[in-house]
Amino acid sequence: MSQLHVSAAPHIHSGNTTSKVMRDVIIALLPAAIASVVLFGMKSLILIAACMISCVACEWIFNKAAGKKCTCGDLSAAVTGLLLALNLSTNVPVWQCVVGSAFAIIIVKCMFGGIGRNIVNPAIAARVFMLVAFSEVAGGAACVLTDATTSATPLETLAPGAEGLPTLMEMFLGMHGGTIGETCAAALLIGFVYLLVRKVIRCHVPVVFVGTVFVCALVYSGFDVVYAVQQVLAGGLLLGAIFMATDYVTAPVNLRGRIVFAVGCGLITFVIREFCAYPEGVSFSILFMNLLTPLIEEWTDKEPLGGI
Amino acid sequence: MLFKKNISSLHVPHNKNTASCAPVQISAPKEVVLPMNMQSGHDAEPVVSVGDHVYVGQLVAREEGRNSSPIHASVSGIVKEIAPIKLAGGKTVMAITIENDGKMEADPEMKAPTVTNLDEFLDAVRASGVVGLGGAAFPVWAKLDAVRRNEIETILVNGAECEPYITSDHRMMVDYSDLVAKGVKLMQEHMNVPKIVIAIENNKQDAIDKLGEIFKNDPGVEIYPLETVYPQGAKQVLLYNVTGKVVKGGQRMAALGVLIINVSSVAKLAQYIETGMPLVDRIVTVDGTAVKEPKNLLVPIGTPVSHLLSEVEMKSEPGKILIGGPMLGHAITELDDPVIKATNAILAFEEKDSVELEPTACIRCGRCMANCPVGLNIVAVGRAMNIQDEDARAERLTQLGLKQCIECACCSYVCPAQRPVLSKNLEAKRFLRAYNAAKKEEGGK
Repeated sequence: MSQLHVSAAPHIHSGNTTSKVMRDVIIALLPAAIASVVLFGMKSLILIAACMISCVACEWIFNKAAGKKCTCGDLSAAVTGLLLALNLSTNVPVWQCVVGSAFAIIIVKCMFGGIGRNIVNPAIAARVFMLVAFSEVAGGAACVLTDATTSATPLETLAPGAEGLPTLMEMFLGMHGGTIGETCAAALLIGFVYLLVRKVIRCHVPVVFVGTVFVCALVYSGFDVVYAVQQVLAGGLLLGAIFMATDYVTAPVNLRGRIVFAVGCGLITFVIREFCAYPEGVSFSILFMNLLTPLIEEWTDKEPLGGI
Repeated sequence: MLFKKNISSLHVPHNKNTASCAPVQISAPKEVVLPMNMQSGHDAEPVVSVGDHVYVGQLVAREEGRNSSPIHASVSGIVKEIAPIKLAGGKTVMAITIENDGKMEADPEMKAPTVTNLDEFLDAVRASGVVGLGGAAFPVWAKLDAVRRNEIETILVNGAECEPYITSDHRMMVDYSDLVAKGVKLMQEHMNVPKIVIAIENNKQDAIDKLGEIFKNDPGVEIYPLETVYPQGAKQVLLYNVTGKVVKGGQRMAALGVLIINVSSVAKLAQYIETGMPLVDRIVTVDGTAVKEPKNLLVPIGTPVSHLLSEVEMKSEPGKILIGGPMLGHAITELDDPVIKATNAILAFEEKDSVELEPTACIRCGRCMANCPVGLNIVAVGRAMNIQDEDARAERLTQLGLKQCIECACCSYVCPAQRPVLSKNLEAKRFLRAYNAAKKEEGGK
């Protein structure tokens, strides 16, 4: 008989792998990616391709240079690229995409130790970096489907009872200005359902995050439901809540911690949107809560069954 | 309980391919090897010498020390050797090898013990050599003995058998339901326990029906169908799911008024009290992806694994052979290793199912924690193991409640990074045990 294998228990495995998880995230983002091409034209496709290719390339180059095993196959760099692209507007030139991707992968992810070790979400950090470094990211671009000339996101004019906003249906379908992936709520929700069905994420973080913003808006506006719904649909809230606040690496690992994290994200988002100079606060809120993650985990630690 | 929290569990593929295979008597092995450490406590002490003739069921090693258990000859023949052998895992242990004369002659002087009261009952259980046959191998008498010191309200008879492939307990409940029933009645009669619950996963409907029929008029016995999830049969999980009780750190289950005993153990102790034949054989499931025609075999204890494998038709050359189930069993390299009292399955896996998975970086997805039956903060345990200072590391591990880990392997099973999470937890537990032992010794000086 040939040599028998010996290994520690268990001897069977669920068959789930990191690349399968990441592949599911990419699939979940496809509706939003397709919607971005429909809503903002072929320029979206160029952005997506530029970001995804440069993210994967950067990871490959870094791994080679650092003499590490290539981790491109786990698809996490591709996810980062796709998320980053969906967070940009069509005004952004390709070279900026490359710079942003390099920042996301090399500075934010690989320098901290690669997959699983980064402190903040690479796509969000890169978006904020680009927001500060290049003026083209902010404000968004005009949707090609409507004849509106304004390229501004509805958030800039959004206030209780404000006029000149797209209708709720237009907002739900994404026919308004903004970054290419954030506007189409319908597509994002399809992706959300897919992630839930595939058990990639649980519903708590997105629901609590969006719910917190909704309740804050409701209370702030004196129970103006339309305004609260507009707060949810305008800007990057759904994209951030479904795809970026649920990032495993940079959010608390326990459920209680994740809920605290989501409440924090919601509160900060609303405060920035309403009271600060920036019209959008989703990226900043997630970035900030990413930094608090180790503390939140400590606060929300609970005893196992049977005590300690 | 008003707000009964659900215990996390997994839907692992059952692969109970042998669920309808009644146990078949295995052909006589040439020799049997009886290791002295077949029970979880102290090693037994040989009472025979090389060259002695022994009958089936004759005592060959007596109980020695704490939580030990006697060992009986499983075949008739001549004691060939009493020498240390090396078992899977590298442990060396004294073992008695008996050359089988093929007659399977029972001791002519064997007679059923007289059991009329609790003392006689416990003595009989002690003499029967029955240990936890589900894998724990804790001597049953030592467990039942708790009835003298605690108010036991419930005995949980564990027929969950949640590990994939294994149907040893299942077939015991179906094919030997009379023995199971007899054992339950004996415990009821002598231990004065108001309630006996036989808990069975609902993928064994035939066992539920059969035992349900036997006990339908007995208010003291309840058949409790369990959801089929892993690790339903783990004692902490079973206790919680049936009674809602939780064993707190440092507590014994008996203090809660509950005892959990494996269903095959119940049947075997009944067999001894009925006939005087102690634990000398057991049902072993032989299955796995490399096995073409899986079987349940009735095997004399001490039979080499190779003999079991020769009784089934193989599909291909196995790449890995396990003693026990695929979640908790251990891989062996030597096919001469014997079936011991707690061996409920021998599984042979094809080469492609045997290759160890390549671990990648932890992505902090939290699946290990979300699927942990006791809700241990596994990610924090991993992080704590990186603490250089031993005192700080031990303090953190204690604070995390590491000792509550039931070692069910759900964490490793679900990990998408295919990391050996359970092995890491076990390493942490070993460290903590050694650390505490060293501290205790230091304090004692």
